[in-house]
Amino acid sequence: MPKCTINGKSIEVKPGTTIIQAFKEAGEEIAHYCWHPALSVAGVCRLCMVQIEGQPKLQIACNTVVADNMVITNKSEPVKDAVRWGMDFHLINHPLDCPICDQAGECGLQEQYMRYGQYDPEMAEPKQKKHKVIDLGPTVVLDSERCILCSRCVRFTEEVTKTNELGIFNRGDRSEIGTFHNKPLNNNYSYNTIDICPVGALTSKDFRFRQRVWYLKEARSICTGCSTGCNVNVYFNEEGTWRVKPVQNDKVNGYWMCDKGRDVYKFTNLPVRLTSGKTGSKDNWNLLEAGALAKDVGATIRAAARSGADKIALVITGQYSNEDYDALFQFFSVGLGVQNIYHWINNPEDMNGFDGLLFRGDRNPNTKGLVARLEKYGVKTKWLDLEDKIKAHDLTHIVIAGPENHSVFPDLETKLRLFDQVPNVVWLSAGKSVAVDGLTAVTTQIPMKTFIEKDGTYTNYAGLEQKVKRGTTIVAGALTLEEAVHLMSGEELDMNMRPLPPKYLKTNFLVHKGGPL
Amino acid sequence: MSYVVKRPSASSQWYLPAIFSGMGLTFKKMLRNLFVGDKMQTLNYPEEKYEYGPRFKGNHVLTVKKDGSVRCTACMLCATNCPAQCIKITAAEHNDPSVEKYPISYEIDILRCVFCGFCEEACPVDAIRMGPEWQSPALNGGTFNYDIQHLAYRGNLKGGIQSRVDDQERHKAGI
Repeated sequence: MPKCTINGKSIEVKPGTTIIQAFKEAGEEIAHYCWHPALSVAGVCRLCMVQIEGQPKLQIACNTVVADNMVITNKSEPVKDAVRWGMDFHLINHPLDCPICDQAGECGLQEQYMRYGQYDPEMAEPKQKKHKVIDLGPTVVLDSERCILCSRCVRFTEEVTKTNELGIFNRGDRSEIGTFHNKPLNNNYSYNTIDICPVGALTSKDFRFRQRVWYLKEARSICTGCSTGCNVNVYFNEEGTWRVKPVQNDKVNGYWMCDKGRDVYKFTNLPVRLTSGKTGSKDNWNLLEAGALAKDVGATIRAAARSGADKIALVITGQYSNEDYDALFQFFSVGLGVQNIYHWINNPEDMNGFDGLLFRGDRNPNTKGLVARLEKYGVKTKWLDLEDKIKAHDLTHIVIAGPENHSVFPDLETKLRLFDQVPNVVWLSAGKSVAVDGLTAVTTQIPMKTFIEKDGTYTNYAGLEQKVKRGTTIVAGALTLEEAVHLMSGEELDMNMRPLPPKYLKTNFLVHKGGPL
Repeated sequence: MSYVVKRPSASSQWYLPAIFSGMGLTFKKMLRNLFVGDKMQTLNYPEEKYEYGPRFKGNHVLTVKKDGSVRCTACMLCATNCPAQCIKITAAEHNDPSVEKYPISYEIDILRCVFCGFCEEACPVDAIRMGPEWQSPALNGGTFNYDIQHLAYRGNLKGGIQSRVDDQERHKAGI
C-alpha cells in the first residue's frame, strides 16, 4: 500500500491508484475536464497539473500512478501558472458566450476561469469559427465553438454504450465532434453525454433555454421510471420541476441513467396533474377538497364492507412507496377484511426485460415492495379472477391505487373500460386523464402526490430499499396514498397530515393548534 | 430634563408687520407671473412636461439590431440582478443559428420596478437601457406590465433605438 502526501495530508492508497483518484480520496480539489471516474484516461485537457517533489517538470494527475512516499501538491505557484496558461489555450477558440450558454452556472471552465483566469487573452489571431447549433440526434444539440475536445462524450459512446456514434473529425484547431453519415446520436443513454460535457458544447433539447440553472433548486430523489431505481437529482423551482440528472451510486446506477428516466419529471408538473378531488360521472363532475372526499368515500366503503367485504375489490399498481402499501393493506386487508386485492401489471410481456446497462422492462419503481406485501398479507389472487368477478357483477365497489405516470401504462384505457362495469369506482392517481373523466360509473377521483412530493421507501429490482425525502410541493391539494387511506379509515389528521394525538392527552392550551382537517 | 419656555413678549404680539411682508412677497410673485410669464416657477403639468437629461434613469427601453429585431439575447442576467424581481423573460430558440437564443416574451412590471438601473448595468450586449421618460400613466384597463412591443417599439422611440453592440461586427473582428 503506497503512502503519499497530498497538499500536506498524508494518505494511504491502493496500488495502481492514479494521483487524481488519490486527490478525490483525500478530499482535495483538483480541476479536471477530460478525466471521468467511469471512463478511460485520455490526458488531453492538461489542467490537472500537479507538482511532485523531486521531479523537475509538472505531471498530469490523471495518468500518473501514485508511488510510495510521493509528495504531491497542486497549490504551488508553478502549478497555478501552468493551469492559468493551460486554460488560455482552451480559450483560444472558445467563444466565451456564457450569457447565452445553457451550461453557465454549472460549467467547469467558467468556474476555473473565475478562479485562475480573468485576464485579457494573449492570442492575437481571430477566433476559429466553427459550426453552431448542430443537431446530433433526437436529444442532443452540439455547439462546436464551445467544445474543448476533451473527448469524454466520444469515450462514453465507445466504452459505456458501445454504440460508437460520436467521433472527432478534422485536425488541429479545425477539430470538431460529429456523428457519422446517417448515424445520429440516438441511444437510450444519450443525455449522459450532456451531463459529462464539462462545457456547454452538448446541450439537451429537452431543457435548452427553458430555465437558467441558477434559478433551480435540486432535491435528491430516485427515478421512478423503472425498477432499477437510479439515484437522481430533481431540479425544480416555484413553477414546477424542470429536469432530472443522475447522482453517483455505485450500488445502483454508477454515474448514469437512461433517457427514458429523464422524462419522469414530466408527469409531476401541473398541466398533467389532477389538482382537486372530483366526484360524479361522465360530463357531470363536482370538484371537492381531496381530504373531504377521501373521508366521504371512506365512510361509504366502510358501510359497504359491513354488509359484505367480498363485494369490494382493491387494485394496486407498483408505483407507490412501501409506507403507502403498508397503510393500504392495514386498512383494506386487516381493517375491512377485503380479500379481492389485485396487482395491476402494466406490461406483462416485457416485465423481466433488461437492456444490459440500466433500463428494465418493469416500468414501476416498487413492484418488488408490492409483491413482498402481497405475500405478507397472504394475497394469492390472479388478474383473471377480477375480470370474471366484474363480468359476473359480483362487485359493488372497486378502489384503484392507479398509476402516477400514466404514460407507462399502455393498457390504461382498456383497464378503465373493465373497471367501468363496477357501479362505484374510487380512482386514486396523481395524473389527470380524459379516459377517467369519461367513466360512466359513479366515480371518485382523489389526487395523489408524486414521488418528489412525499417521503417514502422504494424497493428496487434487486431488493435494495431506498429512502426518498420530499423535495417540493407542486399540487398542494393532493394527498399521499397513506394520508388518503388514513382519512378513509375515519382517522382525523392534523394540519400537517399526521394522525391527531389521542384524546386523553392534555395539550398545552398556550400552543396554537390548528383544527382537524 | 430642562426646557426653555418663551414668554410672549411685547414685540411678538405685533404680528401685522410679518403678515404684510408675507403678503408683499405673494403679490410681487403674482404680478411678475402676470406680466413676465416666462419666468414662472411652475409648469402646467399635463400640457407642459419637464424633460430630464439623457442619463436620467426613467422607463426602460429595449434596443434593437440593425435589422430592427430586439437585441436582447434572453440571457436573463437583468432578471437575475433585479432586486425588485420585476423582469420576466421567456427564452426560445431562434431560427438563425448565429442568433441562437432570443426572448419570445420580455415583461417588466413597471409598478414593481425601483428604477435602480441594475438591469442596464448587468446587460452584456447593451440591450436594455433606462431612458429619460419618467411617466407611466395608464387609463382604466391599461397595463403596467410592459411587453416587448412597448419596451422596444413604442411610438416615441420612432422604430427603436439601435444597440451599440453588434454581433456581425464582433464576428468580423474575430471575437
